[in-house]
Amino acid sequence: MHRTADPQQTLSGPARTQPGALACVGFGLRVPHYDAILTHGLRADFAEAISENFMGRGGRAFDVLERVRADVPIALHGVSLSIGGMDLLSESYLSELAELARRIAAFSVSDHLCFGTFGGHYAHDLWPLPYTEEALAHVVSRVQQVQDRLGRRLLLENVSSYVEYRASVLTEWEFVSEVATRADAGLLLDLNNVFVSAANHGFSAETYLRALPPARVQQIHLAGHSDTGSYLFDDHGSAVPDAIWRLYEQSLELFGAVPTIVEWDERLPELSALEAEATHARQLSNAQLGVQRRHAP
Amino acid sequence: MNLAELQQYFARAATSGIGPLPDLARVFLGTPRLSAADRLGIYNRGYYLRLLEALSSVFSQTQRVLGDAEFERLGLAYVAQHPSEHPAIERVGRSFSEYLRSVAAPPVVVDLAALEWARLCALVAANPENIAQVDSIEPQRFPEARLRFVRSLQCLELDPWALTLLADADRSNIDLGESRSALPHCGVAVWRARHAVEHLSLGAEEWHALRLAIARNELSRVCTAFDTGSADTDVRRAFQVLSGWFARNWLESIDYDET
Repeated sequence: MHRTADPQQTLSGPARTQPGALACVGFGLRVPHYDAILTHGLRADFAEAISENFMGRGGRAFDVLERVRADVPIALHGVSLSIGGMDLLSESYLSELAELARRIAAFSVSDHLCFGTFGGHYAHDLWPLPYTEEALAHVVSRVQQVQDRLGRRLLLENVSSYVEYRASVLTEWEFVSEVATRADAGLLLDLNNVFVSAANHGFSAETYLRALPPARVQQIHLAGHSDTGSYLFDDHGSAVPDAIWRLYEQSLELFGAVPTIVEWDERLPELSALEAEATHARQLSNAQLGVQRRHAP
Repeated sequence: MNLAELQQYFARAATSGIGPLPDLARVFLGTPRLSAADRLGIYNRGYYLRLLEALSSVFSQTQRVLGDAEFERLGLAYVAQHPSEHPAIERVGRSFSEYLRSVAAPPVVVDLAALEWARLCALVAANPENIAQVDSIEPQRFPEARLRFVRSLQCLELDPWALTLLADADRSNIDLGESRSALPHCGVAVWRARHAVEHLSLGAEEWHALRLAIARNELSRVCTAFDTGSADTDVRRAFQVLSGWFARNWLESIDYDET
């Protein structure tokens, strides 16, 4: 069964910050910060947990999630669903994900618009899909299966990429938009990924953003990248650069003040550095909310 | 190529250990600045580095004992033969100790890797639904009871030297050929106590009893492990061992029905 719903809503509740509300900004839970979180809690409006780091697990990971959940909502973000893969969707994976989402009353559930499985194996990478009609139909069907299994809308994140298929007949933004619309899914717009792919493939990030269906954009990711000289590499290993902040301001104008997560994985700094990044995103988002309020009827 | 063929081709290119595939430029776009082969190379390097990092994070002491270069050589060969089968990346090391055995790594290194794998399994195991308490024992039915253990409890037999190597985290330049008196393998229990993983080398009779209990034998059968012919001694020893299992929170439940 394929559900249709107001794209402003997840099946379990509102996902977008409503005009008049305060901005909703958080960051990802990472193991080196667990002790600080268990001791001091988390200074954020919400937190993002990598689903696979908590599915079916106990011990410290479980306690951290319970501790954070007591203070703020948690968004689940997966890396191994392989929504575009050819292997059958794993029922045990979906069962554990559904149980985790239920147990922590997850604010949202997301994964990446890519494939990452091959012949029963996991790549633990986010491999790009060819943007073809066949791939589009395949992904839409699987997103619908997942949404039916989870009983909620799935958010799909655009991935950064370093290669394009000659077989592609759609642009990435056309493909992303069509998947979200046909599958009735939400989009987790990763602005760093848009920027990295735009540089690596020679397209305009602004063209990409303007082509997305605004109501489908329900979360935003901010992160840093590195420049190898030959290409941009999406390593999440530095502060959000100015170019991404500028894309964020454009996105706030296009999509409103949607919940935003600051990601940092490599060369992870103290928790306070992420809190500072989140504070800056919150200021920009609140400024946009002020604009929304002034224009509200 | 259809979608399945394109994905198979991509996966082969991204996981190949023998360099670029032929015809890459017919399937993928390249630019003068970065060819199709260069672009697929980014994924290929990332695939192996990521899995090697995952192995390194789980088998850090095995890596210290082998040395970085040897660990990298063996690790890369291992992931080429044993791709990940689990959505959580650290599980890629599920067969690493067996692989080390198959390539004739020093036996103590095989055991150290098995110990580190058991510690990971204990660390991430699901919490027990319940911890059995001594006061839940029904004395009349206790001999027929079967014990259910917490999921974090792992049991393995290994060279006691592997325990020493694990504890010697600061020691480098270990001579795996150094002479030492051969010790028989010992039974080791690994479990998680709240957030920390612990391990304990068990005496032969406790090890035997634990294996019987984990295999869901009735307690009357489990206690045969303590049979020395002296009833007083046997009962005292069985009481001591079972008390230890309760004290370490190893028991999830005491089941009085077979189901």
